[in-house]
Amino acid sequence: MTEPVELTDDGLLCRVMAGDEDAFGLLYKRRHPSLYRFALHMSGNTAVAEDVTQEVFLALIRDPKRFDPAKGTLAGFLFGVARNHLRKRWEQDRRIVSLIGDADELGPLASGNGNGNHSNGSGAHVNGNGNGHYVVPTTRDEFASIENVTRVRQAIGTLPENYREVVVLCELEEMSYEEAAAALECPVGTVRSRLHRARAILLEKLRDARPVRRATAVGE
Amino acid sequence: MNEEMNDEMQEREEAMPMNCSHFKEALDDLDRTGMPAMMLREAALEHAETCGRCAQLMTDTEALDFSFHQIAAHDGNLQAPARVEAALLQEFRAQRAAQSNKKGNWRLAALASAAAVLLALGFSLRHVSLSHTTSVASETSQSTLNANVQQGSAEANNEATEVAENVSTDAQDATGFVSLPYATDPGTLEGGTVVRVELTRAALVSMGLPVADAGSLDRIPADIMLSEDGAPQAIRLVSSTNLGQ
Repeated sequence: MTEPVELTDDGLLCRVMAGDEDAFGLLYKRRHPSLYRFALHMSGNTAVAEDVTQEVFLALIRDPKRFDPAKGTLAGFLFGVARNHLRKRWEQDRRIVSLIGDADELGPLASGNGNGNHSNGSGAHVNGNGNGHYVVPTTRDEFASIENVTRVRQAIGTLPENYREVVVLCELEEMSYEEAAAALECPVGTVRSRLHRARAILLEKLRDARPVRRATAVGE
Repeated sequence: MNEEMNDEMQEREEAMPMNCSHFKEALDDLDRTGMPAMMLREAALEHAETCGRCAQLMTDTEALDFSFHQIAAHDGNLQAPARVEAALLQEFRAQRAAQSNKKGNWRLAALASAAAVLLALGFSLRHVSLSHTTSVASETSQSTLNANVQQGSAEANNEATEVAENVSTDAQDATGFVSLPYATDPGTLEGGTVVRVELTRAALVSMGLPVADAGSLDRIPADIMLSEDGAPQAIRLVSSTNLGQ
């Protein structure tokens, strides 16, 4: 079933350009979570992720005509703006990339949802106080799982930017190669080869650190 | 594109058994929805059973995928705080207000421009209308004046010359009108048409104007009042300074 025209991204953008606040709210609610998570995973810093998300939508408010539907999707355009802002920030402050290992900054990423107390699906209890977030594992398996996830997360943070982008989009945001290629404005083949290389680097790093916890024991 | 890749993979699978190189190539996409490598899963599993290194690689890869899924599940509900949306909505409203002010200013400017254009058009139409009336009157009077001057004023020596523009505006320095000796109806002075001409001093003297140095050949501008039938009725000097010349 096709979406009504006014509810597509392009339709909403037209309404935004006409000054429709509800349309802007709808577009923001639809598009900001993935952009926020992308910025968060790329920077490892909640403040930067908030700023980048805000900057992306400010760009849309101030100059919506910058988006050209002939050149791609609105989502791709927004990810492009987010990437540019992240790059500018990295140029200004290289320290952002080296936040891996900083428990305070990785808090929300290490624990999951930062919006309040909840169970994270694996049985561990996640507590959030609005600023710091932490996970209280209840079993040895959960502890091992969380430890493993944290290690993988840290390893992702050490990847070169172009590899990290594809991992975040294809693995964490679960985009298809085509969607990631549109967001990164590069060919599908490039996304595929970068992801292949990124995964190889991650495996290498994780092997060097400590053997990752095996989800399934093939051949064992 | 996927269909082509599927065909390619299928052909490869049929052509040769999976080796380590093919295994590594296909491994990352084994569980990816819609990817052709999913068709190779069985072959990959078979290969992994016979190759210890590939089995280890598959295990590590699956563990990595498991971690990715966990991270994605953990972070799936992460959103920017509400303050970001609030700030954006505030900016949106401010932007909209600024745009509507801008539109208002443009409308005002457009209205002002339109008013100015209309005023200019009105003035120019009025000017054209006045010029037209005057030139028609002066054309009519010119011939009559010439005829009358030639007929009735031998002293004027047929010297009357029309000066193109009409007159009345620079009359601040002008003398009063003096009735011509042969004026038929001095009472029409009030409503007559005024025509500017240049006459010799001698001609002016002959018309009763007090001009010095009557022998001089230079021409002096003067206004002639014409009656409705075009006959000259009165004359005045344009500038009183001419009197002393």
